[in-house]
Amino acid sequence: MQADLTLKSGRRGATLDIQLLILVGILVLVMAVSTALTPRFLSYVNMINVLMQVAMIMLTGSAAVLLMIAGAFDLSVGMVLALTGVMYAFMSKNGIPTPLALVLSILIGSGFGLANGALVVGLKITPVIATLGTMYVAQGLAFIVAWIDGGANVTTGLPRDFEVFGRTMVGPIPLFLLIVFALILIFYFLFAKTNLRKYAFAIGGNQTAARLSGLKVGGVVLALYVLVGTLTGFAGMTLASRMGSGSPKVGTGFEFDVIVAIVLGGTSIYGGEGSFLGMILGALIIGFVGNTLNLLNVMFFYQTVLKGLILVGAVLLMRQLRSR
Amino acid sequence: MPEKLLEIQNISKHFPGVDALRGVSFDIHRNTVHCIVGENGAGKSTLIKILTGAERRSSGSILLRGREYNPRSTREAMNFGMSVLFQELNVVNQLTVEQNLVLGKEKVRLGFFRRDPQVVARMYEVLRSLDPSIPLGKRVAELSVAQKQVIEIAKAIASESELIIMDEPTAALSEEEVNRLFTIIKELKRQNVTVVYISHRLREIFEIGDAVTVLRDGQMIGTRQVSELGSGGEVGSTAELIKMMLGKVVAERYVAGGGGQGAPVLELRKVSNAKLREVSFSLAKGEILGCYGLIGSGKTEIARAIYGLDQKQGEVLVAGSPAALASPREAIRQGIALVPEERRSEGLFTRLAIRENIPLMNIRSISRWGIFSARREKSLARSYIQKVRIVARDENHPVEKLSGGNQQKVVLSKCINADSRILLMDEPTRGIDVGAKEEIHNLIRELARGGTSVIVFSSELPEVLNLCDRILLLYEGRIRDVVRNGPEVDSERIMHIVTGAKEA
Repeated sequence: MQADLTLKSGRRGATLDIQLLILVGILVLVMAVSTALTPRFLSYVNMINVLMQVAMIMLTGSAAVLLMIAGAFDLSVGMVLALTGVMYAFMSKNGIPTPLALVLSILIGSGFGLANGALVVGLKITPVIATLGTMYVAQGLAFIVAWIDGGANVTTGLPRDFEVFGRTMVGPIPLFLLIVFALILIFYFLFAKTNLRKYAFAIGGNQTAARLSGLKVGGVVLALYVLVGTLTGFAGMTLASRMGSGSPKVGTGFEFDVIVAIVLGGTSIYGGEGSFLGMILGALIIGFVGNTLNLLNVMFFYQTVLKGLILVGAVLLMRQLRSR
Repeated sequence: MPEKLLEIQNISKHFPGVDALRGVSFDIHRNTVHCIVGENGAGKSTLIKILTGAERRSSGSILLRGREYNPRSTREAMNFGMSVLFQELNVVNQLTVEQNLVLGKEKVRLGFFRRDPQVVARMYEVLRSLDPSIPLGKRVAELSVAQKQVIEIAKAIASESELIIMDEPTAALSEEEVNRLFTIIKELKRQNVTVVYISHRLREIFEIGDAVTVLRDGQMIGTRQVSELGSGGEVGSTAELIKMMLGKVVAERYVAGGGGQGAPVLELRKVSNAKLREVSFSLAKGEILGCYGLIGSGKTEIARAIYGLDQKQGEVLVAGSPAALASPREAIRQGIALVPEERRSEGLFTRLAIRENIPLMNIRSISRWGIFSARREKSLARSYIQKVRIVARDENHPVEKLSGGNQQKVVLSKCINADSRILLMDEPTRGIDVGAKEEIHNLIRELARGGTSVIVFSSELPEVLNLCDRILLLYEGRIRDVVRNGPEVDSERIMHIVTGAKEA
């Protein structure tokens, strides 16, 4: 296992190693500063809270990192997250047995992934435009469903078992967190050990050469979109169950957090290189920074400014490391 | 002898761990075409970089018109009258010919660009003297590579360049365009411009060169007057240059193989498409079949049609049974592999390591149930590095850092690893130095002896004559003739056929 798991690809291997080290340093720094500023930071309640937010970014990120390495993009994940949560609440409220509603809402996520993939692969629409389109469709649908339900959120009249998935505890840890982390582990295995990794790096590195080498370029990209959609559906359902309501506003900025985490982790927005562990570290940094600012009662708008700066900074850092 | 324009004296350049140039000295005389040849890594590009200010020398001195010359930037070098025609041309595709010519020559007044009519007039005059057929209003994107080169040359002359360095200018040109470029180079000499000409193609040196300097491993091997070497048609003259470049004698010669006897493994029957007209031929087991024609004659199109990249009508039989071959994937499954013409953009994953490139045409060679084995990937790469003699630090070496010859060996390894029985090789040695070329040729012969059938698509006649058992002659998408290679083959007749001068 030794060198095999250090996700190296050619010359970029060394660059990524340095970047991962820098990320670990930043993470430690962020945690130290957070602890010093607010003692509440390390409390159990707060940690579970941060981990919940971070886990959702990581979950979608687990598949999205491969998608980005393959040279594609998904902006719709935030609104798909919101829509699947709203749909989970709406369906279970309107007579569909909760377990079935749970599965169906995840499949709605898959459906959006399939639509994204079909637009990009089949109709050859640029990923940014295609997923921007589906993002608005998902957002609109989420609001429509909430409006049909008669309010801004789908909150009242939910069956009692609606919250079971999000509220069950295994000792001190919520069950859903364990399941989400198990899923992330499975995707880490997919990323590190399976042919999907080979395909993604090859397609993102040189699509023409990939096609001439007989790889199913379209099939792989489509499959990755479906995986991203499915995981996002799972995340949306989980959040709704945890919060006890389906809100169309829950996914605002989520797509941005996922992209920042991936790019911060050393994945090129042009594809062809990237790191799973980097995405994990990136998500933790984004999560901890946001959480600390929340604890310090810094207004949401400042957080947005900071995240924007982090994204630009991450891209600059990548370029600096690479040019050496 | 004309006066010395540039005196290069004892130039060295050290990079960490490498001496790119060691004590190189030679003179370039005014109004001559001075050729520099050498294998990849011989130090040619380092020398150009020093001359154009992109790199600083470590020691030694350069005199330009008798004065110390030490440019710190390309801009400064240009002010000294030094221009370079790089392989990657420096024209703006979105602009017209006219806009390109005056680009950067505008005068700025009160923050507005203004064209200086005198400069513009001079530009037109220069362009007309080089090639009057280029329309000024056309967008550069629509021009051929050769025409784009002319625009760059025109810009260089108009900005009073005395010395133009041409870095493999003919690499992407057809034979006819090469001839036109040579006419232009002769015209440059008449206009008092000195040309430094870098090329892999020795034949060209005899055609236009006055002097030739050979570099090997960063050292100067010697400078010769081309007239001393004898005319290019003779075998002896190139042999001396090759000997200087390689330090050993290379005997490249066709040896009749056993190929061409067995049952056909691939057969095309009246295959046509937009570029091809009823192409029919068959390929035998272990045969090396040449496909020779000028650029645009349909060589690449035949390869693309077989490989399922372009649509086609007609019939293709693989090992006797009809095959649709509608996609590369299907072609590979039928045992066909393509070594594409553009190896960097079509054949390789340059950012990945050698190790990661080799299995990509046949992922099953390193994986089972969709899970790959890094250990098997490594041993596979090592075995190919040994088998095809790829020169690299190790299997983790990124492909983008390899020389052209070694990159081509990686592409070849990829194809061999796909268990292919039929290899389509499009311009297998384009842009590759003489030594590596010979190695690639030997690999092809070795593969054929092992039973692989190979089709070599080439626009270099010596290549097909050295390598192939039979040669298809192409002109305008049709096969005009098929010749069996041997000592009595008539290369003059071949040239006549592929240029359309004579009916087969």
